Formats: sequence, C-alpha cells, structure tokens
Amino acid sequence: MRNLTIGKWLSLASVAAVAIALPYIVPSFFVNMATQMLFLGLFALSINLIAGYAGMVTLGQAGVLGIAGYGIAIAYSRLDFSLGVSALLAILSTIVVAAFFGLLLVRATGVYFLMITLAQGMVVWGVAQRFTVLTGGDNGLRGISRPPFATEYWAYYYFSLLVVAVCVFLIFRIVRSPFGLSLKGIREAETRMPALGYDVRRIKLLAFVVSGTFAGVAGLLLVMYNNFFSPPSVYVKASAEGLLMSILGGVGTITGAFVGSGVFVFVTNYVSGFIERWPTLLGLIFVLTILFAPDGIVGSWQRLVWAPLLRRFGDAEAAELIEIEAGGGGLLTGGEAKGVRPDPETDSVTSVTPESTAERQSRQ
Amino acid sequence: MSSRQFVLLALNGVSFGALLFLLSSGFTLIFGLMRIVNLAHGSFYLIGGYVGLTLIQAGQSFWVAMIGGALAIAGLGFVVERGLLRRVRGRTMPEVLLTVGLSLIFADLALAQFGGDPILLPRPPLFAGTIEFGEVTYPTFRLFVLGLGIVIAALMWLLQSKTRIGAIIRAGVDDREMVAALGINVNAIFTGVFVFGALLAGMTGVIGGVFLSLYPGADAEILNFALVVVILGGLGDLRGAIIGSLLVGLIDAFGRSLTPSLSYFLLFAPMALILIFKPQGLLGRVTESR
Repeated sequence: MRNLTIGKWLSLASVAAVAIALPYIVPSFFVNMATQMLFLGLFALSINLIAGYAGMVTLGQAGVLGIAGYGIAIAYSRLDFSLGVSALLAILSTIVVAAFFGLLLVRATGVYFLMITLAQGMVVWGVAQRFTVLTGGDNGLRGISRPPFATEYWAYYYFSLLVVAVCVFLIFRIVRSPFGLSLKGIREAETRMPALGYDVRRIKLLAFVVSGTFAGVAGLLLVMYNNFFSPPSVYVKASAEGLLMSILGGVGTITGAFVGSGVFVFVTNYVSGFIERWPTLLGLIFVLTILFAPDGIVGSWQRLVWAPLLRRFGDAEAAELIEIEAGGGGLLTGGEAKGVRPDPETDSVTSVTPESTAERQSRQ
Repeated sequence: MSSRQFVLLALNGVSFGALLFLLSSGFTLIFGLMRIVNLAHGSFYLIGGYVGLTLIQAGQSFWVAMIGGALAIAGLGFVVERGLLRRVRGRTMPEVLLTVGLSLIFADLALAQFGGDPILLPRPPLFAGTIEFGEVTYPTFRLFVLGLGIVIAALMWLLQSKTRIGAIIRAGVDDREMVAALGINVNAIFTGVFVFGALLAGMTGVIGGVFLSLYPGADAEILNFALVVVILGGLGDLRGAIIGSLLVGLIDAFGRSLTPSLSYFLLFAPMALILIFKPQGLLGRVTESR
C-alpha cells in the first residue's frame, strides 16, 4: 500500500516535471496543443464535476463558458476596461447566469436535466448570434489580448498551466470535501438525501454554479488564446464535445478530463491534417466509447489495472471503492438513469450512501 | 401594430407551430413510450430535407420528395433503433448520449455532401401562390403546412385512442413491463414507434426545406425548438405537443417581429416560468417528466 502511495506521488511529480519542461522539449505547435488541452480539459472537468460526481449530465456547458467568453470580450474591447477587471466582470457575470440557469434546473433530474441545459445553451447561442450590437453576431468579437506578461506562446502555456493547476487543486479539494461527498450522495440516491437532512436543491444549485465558474475560467483562457470569440464556441456542438472529452477520459475522474481533452486536441489539431472528415471520427469515437468503454480511458484503467493491483496488495476495500467510483458510479453502465424512474433495487445493490463513502475515505 | 400585421404574425406563428408539431409529435411519442430522448431527431429532420433536395434536383416533384424523405429517414430510424439503441436498451443516459454522437456524425456527413450554403427548396406548384382574405395576402404553402399539421394531429389522435395499436402504445407509456407480460411484442412496438417518429421527422425536413431552408445547424436549431415545445407541453403527451408547438410558434413569430435580436431570449421566458412553477410541463404528468 505504501509503495502504491509513493508510486502515485512519483507519477504526479513526473507529470508535473514533463508539463514544466514541455516548452523546452517540443516545438511551438505542440506547446500550443498542450495549452488547448489544458483549458479544454478544465472545461471537460467542469462538466465532469456535475456529471460524474452528481449525476447531472449537461449539454449546455458551452453556453455557460460563453457568458465568460463574451463577458471578457465585451468588457475589454467594447467598454474599455482593463484586462484584469474584464476577467473579473466576466467571472461574476458567469456566476450570476449560472445561478439563474441553476435555479431552473434544481428540480430536474436525468434526461430532463440534460434537455433543459441543452435549451439553455441554445438560448445563449441564439442571443450571441442575433444580438449583434453587443456580440458582433457571426463575425464574433476580436481585439481581446493575452495578459501582457504572457503574450508569447510559451508564456501563455505556463500561464494556462498555472491557472489550470490551481483550478484542478480546488476541484480536487471540492470533490473530497463533505460537499463533494453530498454530491455523490445525490448521484447515488437522490430520494434518500432529504431524509438524511440534506437540502438537495441547494446542493445541486451550488454544484452547478461552482462547475459553471470553472467553465468560465476555461472560457477566459480560450478567449485569450484565440484573441477571438464567436457563436460556434457556445454552440451545442461545443457542449457535446466537452461531454465527449469528459466521457472519453472517464466520468468521475479528474485526470480523465485531461486525457479526454488530449485525445480531442490531438484529433482536431493533428489528425485533421490527414482525415478530412475528422468531426465524423469524433462522433464515431463518442458512439464507440458509449457502446464499448463507458468507463472511459481512465475509468477502465482504474477498474481493470489499478483496482486489481490494490487488491493484490491487500487493500480490498480501496479496490472496491475504486470499482464503484470508476465511470461516475456507473453513470453509463448502470440501469435506468437515476431520477427517470427511481429504482429501489439498484439503489440497494450498488449505492454508496454519503456516510459509507465518508467512512471509507476517512479510514484510508 | 396594425390589425393586418397582427393577423399576418398570428398566421406565421400558427403555421410555424404546425411545422413544429409535425416534428415534436414524433419526438414526444418516442419519449413517452421508450423513454428515449432522441437528440438525433433534428438530424433526421435535416437529412430528410436533403434527401428531398436530392430527389427534386433529380427532377422529381415536391410530393415525391416529401414521401422519399419520409421513407428514407424511416429506414435510417430503423437502422439506428435496431443496430444501436437496442444495444443499450433501458439505460437512459447511454441512449440519449448515443443519439448525441450520431447527431455529430450526421451533421458532418451532411456538411460534406451538401455544403454549407443555405438551400431553399421550391414550393410545389399546387401551393406556390398566395391567397387573399380581406386585406391580408398569405402564401398558400404555409396554410398547407397548417392543414397538414391538423390532419396529422387528428390521425395521431385517432390512432392513439381508437385503434388496438394505439391502446398498446398508451398501455406501454404507462407500464411497459405489464404490456410485455401480456404477451405483446414490445420490442416490435418500440421499433415501430421509433420508425414512425423518424418518418415524421424526415417528412417535416422536406417541408422545412421550403419553409425555412436547409443549412448546417438547422438540425440543432429545430431540435431546440422541439425541446422547448416538449418542456412547455410536457414530455410524452400528444396534446402537450400541440399546445407547446402553438405557443412556441406564436412566441417566435411575434418575438421576431417585435425584437428580432432577442427573439431567442423571449422563447426562454415561458420555459423559465414553466420550469419554476410547473416543471412537469403544462399537461405533463409527474411520473413522465421526472
């Protein structure tokens, strides 16, 4: 067990070392790819935070990201605020809009949640498209610059790395906090949570706002990377791509979001040079992942390699916990989606009540 | 707003509502019976329209195009249901995400085949003109769509309430395990309903090609309208689809005229109200919308 913990820290350290050394090793093309992987990974992680941990699958997250994107673009290039103030205003407006969207969502579960988020995202897109006075419509908004200390491609990479690392650390703390565990409680047994004294609606609202805030940060990084923002960035396709990254990497895992965004960036930047119909390829990857590897890359790795390894070293309990958690608690492998029809049977077979999760983790 | 303009906008809204009903009735029927939110429904619509375009370019009439589009998408629906959705039957989230993946594929293939420019299909000669009532001049094609919407709504109501198949479908909406236990082949009914919904979507696509034109992105836009319709009307309910379609059609028509830049946002307002005060939809039952 001790060896495995050391191994975990070692792998984390080597990832960090590679990430820091990257601009010295590879040419700018790949550094830019890594930058995209970072902010798209943060975007996917924001989806993962509510989909994988709370079972709230969204198809409108690009709309939330878009509030931050348009927020900073409008504040900076139209209202002439400084970049820092613009970014702050953008995040604040994202929080406000996410709270408003979240209020409409707290009573919805399962596919109904997904449909409403999709409609919300499309409304943001529709306004972006037609309210041309503010958003520039199809032409988008230009003239947003990167921070003065991060204009070079490598400097912007380090800047993104720092911002994303801070966000990942925060999310890591959030999912392990009592709040994060109550999210899992909602995912596993939403009907049981109120009986335990949890205010489910407030937790869901808070989760949606927190997730939206991180999507907003990803949006800021995206906008400053491209120096441009336009309706396709908030379109339902962008939301679906974020969900694709999240599922491909593995719902309910933090590393999965970045593995997913890595594959995505590799396809859009590199494979697209050889295969003209790369969006079809992405769609195929999506379909095949759902059919054959619903736990995603990291989830499958955890289930097939990591859990047996733990078991072999005598920590059967930790192995069991991983098997339950991989794939977002069976978001894509389980029976009927939670909330569409509460199923007392699966509830009692695979559920992790907040107490038991908390207990297990406190014992580790 | 003059009364003439009011009548025009109301007609626009109601005829657009009829188009939305043609699409969302299949969508809501599929959900009601199978619990599948078919997010590829917009793709079915768009590809149906493109099939119609291909037929018209090959010299066929509008009517052949309409039937061809409907049949082609019915076939596509059959393949999707039998080949893919059946593999994840009963697992709602994989089902809906599969349709998302499919819609990404369909959108890209349609773009590759038919390009990015909007294409307006020609009106059929029979409904190419306009008609005058008093001081209002109105294109007959839109009235045809309105009439078709009413006819299909009536047929679907008859089918649902007066036939054996309809009784089975209604029973399946309420309790499919029980229906299966009675010795009815639920799988065949599922396929039938999915194919029927796809057929309607394909047909609506050809009509929509005349009504709104075909372009990449039309799939997601029309799907969004259908989503708002079922959120307003309640999922899985035919009457809800009628009321929702009319509401959305009218809001869109008046919204576009009053505040073109924010018409999308206007669509959002009733949806927000419904979600706050009656989240199961205007006519939806609690068990269906949760």
